[in-house]
Amino acid sequence: MMDVQLLTSGVIFGLSIGSIFFLMSIGLSLCFGLMRIISLDQLLYYSIGAYLTYSVSLATGSMWLGTLAGVAVAGAASFVVERVVFPRIYARELTFSMITSFGVLFGGIGVIKLFWGVVPRPVPVPTLAQVSILGTEVPVYRVIVIGIAAMVYAGIWLFLNRTIIGKAIRAGIESVEHVEGLGINVARLFTITFIIAGTLSGLAGGLHAPLIMVDPQMGLEVLAFVFMVVIIGGLGSIKGTLVSALIVGQVVSLGSLVYAPLAQMAPFAIMLLILLVKPTGLYGSPLLKR
Amino acid sequence: MKRAWRWWRGILVAFALLGAVRLVLPLPFVIEVVIFSIYTMGCNFLLGRLGFISFGQPAYLAAGAYGTAFYLFYVGTNPYVGILAGIASGLAVAGLVGPLFVRLRSDYFALVNLALAVIIYYLMQKVLASITRGDNGLWFLANIASTPVLNLGKPREFFLFAFLVALGVWAFYKYLDDSIYGACCLATKINEDKLQFLGYSNYRVRLVAFLIANTTTALAGALYAVYLGFVSPEVTSPARAADPVVVTILGGAGTLYGPLVGAFAYTGMKDVISKLIGNWELFIGFLLVCIMLAGEKGIWGTLQPMLARLGRRKRETESTGGGAARA
Repeated sequence: MMDVQLLTSGVIFGLSIGSIFFLMSIGLSLCFGLMRIISLDQLLYYSIGAYLTYSVSLATGSMWLGTLAGVAVAGAASFVVERVVFPRIYARELTFSMITSFGVLFGGIGVIKLFWGVVPRPVPVPTLAQVSILGTEVPVYRVIVIGIAAMVYAGIWLFLNRTIIGKAIRAGIESVEHVEGLGINVARLFTITFIIAGTLSGLAGGLHAPLIMVDPQMGLEVLAFVFMVVIIGGLGSIKGTLVSALIVGQVVSLGSLVYAPLAQMAPFAIMLLILLVKPTGLYGSPLLKR
Repeated sequence: MKRAWRWWRGILVAFALLGAVRLVLPLPFVIEVVIFSIYTMGCNFLLGRLGFISFGQPAYLAAGAYGTAFYLFYVGTNPYVGILAGIASGLAVAGLVGPLFVRLRSDYFALVNLALAVIIYYLMQKVLASITRGDNGLWFLANIASTPVLNLGKPREFFLFAFLVALGVWAFYKYLDDSIYGACCLATKINEDKLQFLGYSNYRVRLVAFLIANTTTALAGALYAVYLGFVSPEVTSPARAADPVVVTILGGAGTLYGPLVGAFAYTGMKDVISKLIGNWELFIGFLLVCIMLAGEKGIWGTLQPMLARLGRRKRETESTGGGAARA
């Protein structure tokens, strides 16, 4: 059997991967919950966050400054796209938003290629220190990532439950017409939600960058995992996204300890199993029929 | 007799044009267009008739391609049987996942298909690398035996074969469109409750459509395999998932000849644009967004109503020469 050290490091590794999956997927889930669109361009903001982290950390030597820049630019990009492309999408059916946002994602990859070229770039990890948890040496950076994701979740919870805008968003998730009837500017609510989603995706990109090489296709490469996370958790539910991200993270991490080749495919099998039982995901609401 | 002519007229005109194109443009280009349009036909049927968008068509393309590849590499040399093997494996894969996928909401359907494509990519590349040779791919061009009527090993005769297959595919889809089943497919997209009230099972309509569409995709995969004599995991890479979607929208989702027009335009643009600007993704992303925001009709989708109106106006002026008032 596995020794405790390997298990502990596997679990922590899985938690850090799960944290990044959570940050990546929360944008997609939020956008669907409130605006009933599938915003595939969130993966573009993920890529933008990663690339800005690369460039700024190269220029200034500090990865955290790079992440901050990545988050800011990703947020700005999402604001621009929301204002220019999305107003005509909100009223249409789901497939329309999927195809159009996919077009934005693809075009954005082209823009990234234009500025940074096709060669994958490495991003330095801010600290190579290791900390001892339960007798196992674990990279500090991964623990920091877990911490950041926990703070983000707490922040989202506070935002949605303790601020007026957050409560309006939660009300909008249930019924947009009622919120409009209260006199709240729903268009502005949509924009705010979209920017939050884009910012979080950018943060995910910035945090993920030191762990992988940034290349133009990175958005497409994680697309499948983000999908699996949101489908398992159920689109529109934040708790569901957190739970499923952690599950997928643990499956990938512990699975690679047990039998490496199947570890990447295991989340897919889990997704199919869950869909058999609950076609809208663990915490998904059976809202739209089609 | 006149009715048969009118039924076949569109298809014959379209394929006559395709044949004319063959005289002007190089052979590899036209073969690519033919096979790619068959590939897109599956996606077009799903999107236009069922309202499902699938980002994972490469999965079924790979099923067909690898089915043929396994047969021609390990078992026999007859390319026709190889193609049948490819179709059978595509049908098998679609039959395996269809009952689950088809119950899902449209967005989950798209995502789940993409996940399937990624899984098959990973399977072919790493897990089953012992039998698929991983990234090196399976090479079996030498294995393809010379067959009596049409030697599929030769590009010229392969083109004739692919041309006839495409003709058959289009005739099949036109027949489907005109049948009650075709009406059911459209109904399931527009209003599934009403269809249920009429006594049809939405699930069954969708499942059969799923099987038909993805078997067509597998057929395209099998054709690719025989044409190239080589199959590698790259055929199902996630980066190529966009191809059928873009071509479907470009041609006009739901139209009969949309895939032909779209495949022609897409392959042509790729050749021309790649020489001018290296950045293909930027162009195709921008194009896709523009088409969607401008009414998502696509090339043939905008041309067809115009042509229909022209035809109708000509028939009106012919038949009302006496001046009888029309409503």
